[in-house]
Amino acid sequence: MQAVPLLLGVIVVNFLLISLAPGDPVATLLGEYPAPPEYVAQLRREFGLDRPAPMRLALYAWNVARGELGFSFAYRLPVAALVAGRLGNTFLLMVTALSLAALVGVGLGVTAARRRGSGLDTAATGISLAGYSIPDFWLSQLLVLLFAVFLGWLPAQGIRSVREEYTGLAAFLDTARHLILPAAALSFRYTALISRLTRASMLEAMSQDFILAARARGLPERLVLLQHGLRNAALPVVTVIGYNFAFVLAGSALVETVFGWPGVGRLLYDAILQRDTPVLLGVLLMVSATVVVVNLLTDLLYAALDPRVRY
Amino acid sequence: MRTRMMAVFLVTLLATGMAAATPAEPQRGGSAVVAIGSDPETLNLGITTGYAVGAVAASIFSGLVWIDARGEIQPGLATSWTTSPDGLSYAFELRRGVKWHDGRVFTAQDVKFTMEQVTGLYHGRFRPAFQNFEAITVTSPQSIKITLKRPYAPLLRLLTVFDCPILPRHVYQGEDITRHSRNNDPVGTGPFKFREWVRGDRLVLERNDAYWDPVYLDRLIFRIIPGAALRVTALEVGEVDMVADFYLPKTDVDRLKRNPNVRLRLGQPIPSMGFMFINARRAPLDNPKVRRALALAINRVQIVTQAMGNLARPARGPFGDGFKWAFSPESDYNRLYPYNVERANALLDEAGLPRGAGGERPVRLRMVYDAARAPIAAAAAIIRDNLRAVGVTVDLQPMDRAVMIERIYTRPDYELTVQTFTSGGDPAIGYHRIFASAAPGVPFVNATGYSNPEVDSLLSRAAEVPERAARGKIYAQASKILAADVPTLMLFDEIGVDASRATLRGVWIGAEARDRWDAVWVQK
Repeated sequence: MQAVPLLLGVIVVNFLLISLAPGDPVATLLGEYPAPPEYVAQLRREFGLDRPAPMRLALYAWNVARGELGFSFAYRLPVAALVAGRLGNTFLLMVTALSLAALVGVGLGVTAARRRGSGLDTAATGISLAGYSIPDFWLSQLLVLLFAVFLGWLPAQGIRSVREEYTGLAAFLDTARHLILPAAALSFRYTALISRLTRASMLEAMSQDFILAARARGLPERLVLLQHGLRNAALPVVTVIGYNFAFVLAGSALVETVFGWPGVGRLLYDAILQRDTPVLLGVLLMVSATVVVVNLLTDLLYAALDPRVRY
Repeated sequence: MRTRMMAVFLVTLLATGMAAATPAEPQRGGSAVVAIGSDPETLNLGITTGYAVGAVAASIFSGLVWIDARGEIQPGLATSWTTSPDGLSYAFELRRGVKWHDGRVFTAQDVKFTMEQVTGLYHGRFRPAFQNFEAITVTSPQSIKITLKRPYAPLLRLLTVFDCPILPRHVYQGEDITRHSRNNDPVGTGPFKFREWVRGDRLVLERNDAYWDPVYLDRLIFRIIPGAALRVTALEVGEVDMVADFYLPKTDVDRLKRNPNVRLRLGQPIPSMGFMFINARRAPLDNPKVRRALALAINRVQIVTQAMGNLARPARGPFGDGFKWAFSPESDYNRLYPYNVERANALLDEAGLPRGAGGERPVRLRMVYDAARAPIAAAAAIIRDNLRAVGVTVDLQPMDRAVMIERIYTRPDYELTVQTFTSGGDPAIGYHRIFASAAPGVPFVNATGYSNPEVDSLLSRAAEVPERAARGKIYAQASKILAADVPTLMLFDEIGVDASRATLRGVWIGAEARDRWDAVWVQK
């Protein structure tokens, strides 16, 4: 129930920020030659820019309540269609990146916890440090240089090949190939985060009495580690993954721009430069709604994992 | 055995030798991928001058003429034309048998409709010319006559697909032109038909088999790649086949020169210039002595070498030297304003701006510019350093394009700014706007507040007189005044660089890299 006032707050704050930002959408849109003044005036009327800001805000909120997200200034297309088309691409990238980060991060964290103090533990720490320190757009460019330019193993940009028109399984594999580098770049920081957290969480869980009890009952070490240790260690990790969903979404804008990935992050970046207010507000609204939903799902997952938690 | 191997070797040698000696014949088939930096905002080239729109739509539509790589006007939808001796009347014979992509027949009515209802109303470059039109008369289905109120020398240059793309009357008549659904799915007469647009990713055009010249490519694909460095990478690995000058970061040109798979075209068939607006509304910049001092203090050669990587020539006058006939040796900047710190200092002293105790003069100037354009940012930094040497303090204010437009044009609030304008093919199309009087509020025109009725009158005449030598004389007169007043300091004439994969043949037949894709073919 907190979601509705939250989303309303998002609309108002973002609208105010964008309205206060200098720069006129119409002037930004019309090429590099003086546009006819009547055309400029026509566009301003069309975009509703001849109305005062409070009236525009009220109109926008009323439209959103009716499910109307308006039309893009730059593309003259319904915002909902524009964003929906790109959202799928972003989710593909994010889910892949987060899954990769979770798998590798948890694996690294568990291994590091098991072999605490060993060379493997040190290596895992080193990888984590690199993950925290390296900016993802720089890493992206490095990956492109190595795997696309020098080795020629993977494509440099885009979501699919343009020369060939693949369908079915070939299209799926083509997209998968294009997904590898951007997902790897986006996941690196979160792999680091998750591995550190898992390690710490595992060490804490493994030091609990119930672990001793499980071993005393004669359970195989693997079962002790995964079913008892990891299951308990996973709780903070799940929370952090859910919490970081919003940050991954934000970070995707940079990665999407570097790799030419046609997602919502890049749409947002372009909309800011073009002062395309309806698209900006639409993207921010959808992103906020997504974050709210993901937080809810995280809470539910937490409850599923931890029988002590009841809502 | 040895004899047989020898025979095989000799035959192979002969065959390869023959293949190398035979000139390459255009081959049908294949596709070309062109990198562009953003989605076009529309595909209706008649209502915008946006670069990305032209990149795609120039292959979907046609103009009455096109400009070749030497800058000469060639027939397009118009096969021939005559001009009356007084320069007031142009008669065009139109190409016969041309069909729109939807099968309907192209006629002179389409031309009249386009000029009167579309480009004459909405197009930033064509509209000013259209306001000088007296009448457009359809003399037959295949011929049309344009009469002007006053002569206009560059008229033919404004009839290319980039300035007046001919649109189908049967689609647009009676409808809202700017919001028409066909703006995203256009019907044209060009060598390629629209096929698909996946926003943020690509635009796909396919061959128009009914085009009047042979078209070799099966498909022409535009890949949207916002990152400049990535466009070059994609070219190097072969994911794209062409990156035009507008989208090519100059810092990568040296690397591309060394790449055997990439060919470059250097030069600027359509001249464009970089310059610094000096806001004459702000003291002491209203004093011509101060502006001349700035001209002497700023090292244009340094800007060309360091900021432009030698992909430019230092500006030699108010209209540069891109148009040889419009250049006046009398107003040569090399003679009038060579880099000279002593003379600059002397002029600033004379203008009543002495150096203070710390060596600084009581002048503080804000340099506003587009942060996204690296060469301009570098030029701005060089200017700041040059002016510091003569005691003038410059504060650099990089900002994003939307804000920059507001600060320079909408509510002029700056002292200096570095901008680039294209000439559009003639000084009257693209350079007059730098110096002609203009009210504040309109983007991409004179933003200095400089207004000289004599210059305005000379520029108007230069646009009317048809003959180049006579025009040149008028430009010489205007240059003399402008070189003395220095309302805007011209910095450099750009040298453009277009890059393409070596497998792409028949490229760059037109002055515009975005033009004449029908002539392009892929060497397999």
